[in-house]
Amino acid sequence: MDILYAVIPPAILSQIFVGLSRSVILFIVSSGLSLILGTLRIPNVAHGSLYMIGAFAAYTVSGFFADSSTGFWAALILAPLFVALVSFISERALFRHLYEREHLMLLLLTFALSLIFSDLVKLTWGAEYKSVPVPAMFQGYVPLFGEMPFPTYNLFLLCVGPVVALLLWLLINRTKIGKIARAAAVDREMVGAVGINVSWVFAGVFVIGCFLAGLGGALVAPTISVTLGMDHSLIIEAFLIVIIGGLGNIWGALLGALIFGLTQSMGILIWPKFGIIFPYLAVVIVLIFRPRGLLKSAW
Amino acid sequence: MKKLSLYVVVLIVVSVFSLPSFAANTIKIGIVDTYTGPATTYTQDVLDGFKLAVDKINASNGVLGKKFELVTRDDKFKPDIGRAMAKELVLKENVDILVGTINSASTLAISDLAEKEKIPFFVTYAKSDRIVGEKGHRYVFNMNENTEMAGRAAAVALSKKPFVKYWIAGDDYEYGHAIANSAWNNLKRLNPRVRKVGESWWKVGEADFTPYITQIIAAKPDFIIVATGGSGMVNFQKAAKATGLSQKIPFYQHTANELGTLLPQGLNAPEGVYGTSAYFFYIAYPANRAFVAEFMKAYNRYPKGSAYSGYMTARFIAEGFKKAKKIDREALINALEDMSLDSPVGRVQIRKCDHQLLLPIYFGKTRKDPKYNFLISSENQIISSKDYISSCNEVLKARKK
Repeated sequence: MDILYAVIPPAILSQIFVGLSRSVILFIVSSGLSLILGTLRIPNVAHGSLYMIGAFAAYTVSGFFADSSTGFWAALILAPLFVALVSFISERALFRHLYEREHLMLLLLTFALSLIFSDLVKLTWGAEYKSVPVPAMFQGYVPLFGEMPFPTYNLFLLCVGPVVALLLWLLINRTKIGKIARAAAVDREMVGAVGINVSWVFAGVFVIGCFLAGLGGALVAPTISVTLGMDHSLIIEAFLIVIIGGLGNIWGALLGALIFGLTQSMGILIWPKFGIIFPYLAVVIVLIFRPRGLLKSAW
Repeated sequence: MKKLSLYVVVLIVVSVFSLPSFAANTIKIGIVDTYTGPATTYTQDVLDGFKLAVDKINASNGVLGKKFELVTRDDKFKPDIGRAMAKELVLKENVDILVGTINSASTLAISDLAEKEKIPFFVTYAKSDRIVGEKGHRYVFNMNENTEMAGRAAAVALSKKPFVKYWIAGDDYEYGHAIANSAWNNLKRLNPRVRKVGESWWKVGEADFTPYITQIIAAKPDFIIVATGGSGMVNFQKAAKATGLSQKIPFYQHTANELGTLLPQGLNAPEGVYGTSAYFFYIAYPANRAFVAEFMKAYNRYPKGSAYSGYMTARFIAEGFKKAKKIDREALINALEDMSLDSPVGRVQIRKCDHQLLLPIYFGKTRKDPKYNFLISSENQIISSKDYISSCNEVLKARKK
């Protein structure tokens, strides 16, 4: 360890890991956005609202259990499922009829949905700030590098990230729906022509993408105050990540999330007064050199 | 036929002219505030506190035989909408008085309108010191503590503490910078030994403070002044607990010890965080017990500081009209200048020179209490207005600039 510290001081190492754990949430949410964008061609502005609903649902579910750990695990499963249900209903009731329309139309619809969702959240959960406790098993911090404290929960996030990425890889490359979805992303009409029910494939992809938004919300809930408006800042970041990664490319979303999380945490370490600008600066640099994103865009 | 049409015209004219006289049977109050988004947690309490006072006044036959009537509008936290809504209330709804908002920019926009239309405007929860300072005028009243007062009150308390190396951090918008500047500039003046080792500023609505906190821990300051508002209050405290910051380096946030910040975190909120607030429902004055009992009976929850602000605003308006002995805007303003009232937490007064409400500010530290399933403010030190308020000369000088 001492040799490592000589090369990279503990403060920087700790900051890198904090940035990585931030990237996990960003990756999970923006991969869902990217999946929907790539396959269904929907720029889903309401994705942020679904993330918010996931966090609120996690609050409700965890409230049913006296033990914070049981409540947390239950919320981690049930909250994204609830979001998936909401998205399934909106897909079957609304989006299904609009796939042939132009993007602007879909953009307007998702924007309208985001407003409706945020009012529904207010009606259901009220305007008070909500807080989901960190589960007892992940409370506190560990001295990971030298004296620098590292929150145990962020350590848990660092484990969740690769698991989700692996599952997504399996879904896309090893399952039928994944293969059809990839094909549909390239040529929708051809997929329909070979006798596949594109409508249900789309419904499935949409629900999976939204499930990821809900999972992101449930995962972030213990670290922040669950509140109206938490969707706004996230949806902008998620879109930026998707754009620098390459529209519709999930591995692009992973790369984008890593860039975003790491430039943010390193920016804060280098120049805390203006740490805010570093991730956006990175976005600008990427777009100057690779206007269509780092990896191949599905569009 | 001609007669009939004349009759109709007369009827219309009469009905149109009778409208204002009908309206004049009540005193109409227009409230513009943010009822969408995270700010609602505070604005709902302003409204409910205001209603509580108004219901009581109306139940005892109103003021000078007239009852209060409320109309509300949502500014969606946007200054342009706030101003448009206020204009609509003034021109179409003929409100006699404007009340609002939680957003300083929105408040400044409405205040400008109030000055032009000569309508008294009572600010319930916006905290910019420019409202009654630099941009102040005859028609605007600030009914809660502003950033200058809060920062100065904190500086008074902090100047007596042994901390030397300070870190300044906050939300990168007007409120954050105003609070931080006021606290820091006054602290430097009161205790010349203090020095600043660094600053960090994050965007409004920042959810994850962990990278900022680990960086501050690495810089090893003695104390941190954290200028967050809204949901950032809770977000920062949660991250401070998770990273162990709250056990390592003490920090201060305005309203850190307030119910709006502590209630949602339950028993998981960090202990030992310093904060300033103008109101706690558990302050053991008889008048406060009565107010809390009424509020809980009506709304089934504890009142926050914003409920106190709404409640006192309505009471000042009612008592102002009573003292003026007529329903007249100019007379109301004259009556309110230098007027003082007993509030649930002691006597408060509207200062004549800038229309700022002078109220005690409590500096305290968060702590668990066996009576509640959330943290409360302890070791409360009352900082009275004479210790933290800028002089009338300073305020009027800022206005002339």
